[in-house]
Amino acid sequence: MGISKVIEIPVVLEIPIGPQHPALHEPLMLKVYAAGEEVVKVEINTGYNHRGIEKLCEKNSFYKDIFITARVCGICNLVHADCFVRAVEHILGIEPSMRAKYLRVLGMELERIHSHMLVNAVLMELIGYDTLFMLIMRDREAIMKAKEILTGGRVLADYVMVGGVRRDVNNEKIDKLKKILDRIEPRIKYYMRIYEEDPTIRKRLVDVGVLEPREITLYSLVGPVARASGIDIDVRRSDKYDAYNDIPFNVIVRREKDVWARMMLRWEEVLESINISKYILEHLPSNEKAVPDERRLPRRFPPGEVFTRVEAPRGELTYYVMSDGKQNPYRVKIRTPSFNNIINTGFSYVGHSIADVPVILASYDPCISCMERAIVIDLSNNTKKYVPLNRIVKGDI
Amino acid sequence: MKQSKRALIMYDPIKIFLESIEEYIVKKYEMKPRRLVVEIDSNNLRNIFEKLLSVFGETGFYLSTIVGTDLIKENKIRVDYYVVLFPLEDIVVLRTYVPREKPVLPSIVDILPGAYAGERETYDLLGVVFEGNKYLKRPFFVPEELVEREVYPLRKDSGV
Repeated sequence: MGISKVIEIPVVLEIPIGPQHPALHEPLMLKVYAAGEEVVKVEINTGYNHRGIEKLCEKNSFYKDIFITARVCGICNLVHADCFVRAVEHILGIEPSMRAKYLRVLGMELERIHSHMLVNAVLMELIGYDTLFMLIMRDREAIMKAKEILTGGRVLADYVMVGGVRRDVNNEKIDKLKKILDRIEPRIKYYMRIYEEDPTIRKRLVDVGVLEPREITLYSLVGPVARASGIDIDVRRSDKYDAYNDIPFNVIVRREKDVWARMMLRWEEVLESINISKYILEHLPSNEKAVPDERRLPRRFPPGEVFTRVEAPRGELTYYVMSDGKQNPYRVKIRTPSFNNIINTGFSYVGHSIADVPVILASYDPCISCMERAIVIDLSNNTKKYVPLNRIVKGDI
Repeated sequence: MKQSKRALIMYDPIKIFLESIEEYIVKKYEMKPRRLVVEIDSNNLRNIFEKLLSVFGETGFYLSTIVGTDLIKENKIRVDYYVVLFPLEDIVVLRTYVPREKPVLPSIVDILPGAYAGERETYDLLGVVFEGNKYLKRPFFVPEELVEREVYPLRKDSGV
């Protein structure tokens, strides 16, 4: 009797990464299944950070919700508040002054700078380049200081309010901010040069985690992840919210599609944000009031609905707000960029080695408190068929 | 460069969008400038997205988000699909209604995988069943206890 069938039993490792793990600084769990070094399947389990913000918003008044939405995410709290406040302003029919709009953009661009610096630093730590991690974090601290000078808060700003902003700037502060930006700009260029020239960085990042343009649109990926694969989207340019209509800036698009492209694109966006910030500090309209009188804000809300978008550091952030004429919103729906970028990308790890998984994940810039706490299983179709050992034991093959 | 910009202005994705799904449109109006709402019958949902994929191609648009709202007074659940059209990122809202007692919609996750997260979330929080989505399973966001009691937190009469 000849041999009719050969059963090759691959060694499939199941490696849980997270929710508490030195390589990941956020409560997320990647369940990685690997045959040897090669990843065959990734399950993304989240749900460690669910807070029910949307329901909470329905239970509180519009004005309180500004502070609740600002606490969806620590790093990009200002963009969340701005997106919600613009929705409320549209329902109320209020238009903030141009000076307030410029200051909002300044705050959001500072946030983009320090967010992009943070993810670049974290990625350097993940690939074992701790020196660069510390250097970038040191320089990021200066931007945090700049944000504190502008908004009064180093991290949580609570800067945006209906009809304007909470604090104005004077000439002294403008000079301080300019000095900080001038100091940081050459440092960013220096880091970009390291990314381009360092052989270790290039070996770890180039051609890793390639995403094709059709995958970007089919899986609804947004932000720097999409722009690094040649998809030209930017809400700042298309929606022209706040003062982006007045401010000249470039949308950066790269075509390399890999992790390296995403990180380089973030550095280029940092430079662009520095230019925007400098432009604002030079051209800030001076004949208007930025801070409205809080006591005169309307207390009645007409019925209406609105869908606002904003370009957060991680991509398109959308808010849907519906009012039925009462004090509290009828419905608030938040869709954060990480919600799409992390949950829908389980397919992109397959075929890479285990060591690449944290690198690819970090290149999507995960923000778990932002991402709405989901449990996701993405079954990527691998052409090989793996039969679990327990089925072989039962004779069920 | 200038020429290409002019070419972009000539190309009107909204017009093409409306023409390609003309037979399915029930009603259309603007929510605010640049937010066109197109009401459709929920049975045509799959046809519409298949049509969009064939007209605009795989890289011509993306599904930004799915928003479900419980309209308790009208005894309906409203489900909105926000579609972003390239290259100028025009937004079209595809709006459907399902009855509260039997909220069933056809799933589009097999033709547009980006709908995956939105469909699961809407099912978990509002109880809208997307027929054909084999990943629909609770709990997704909500705690186990609510699953046992069959409570959908974002419904207005859920008591949460």
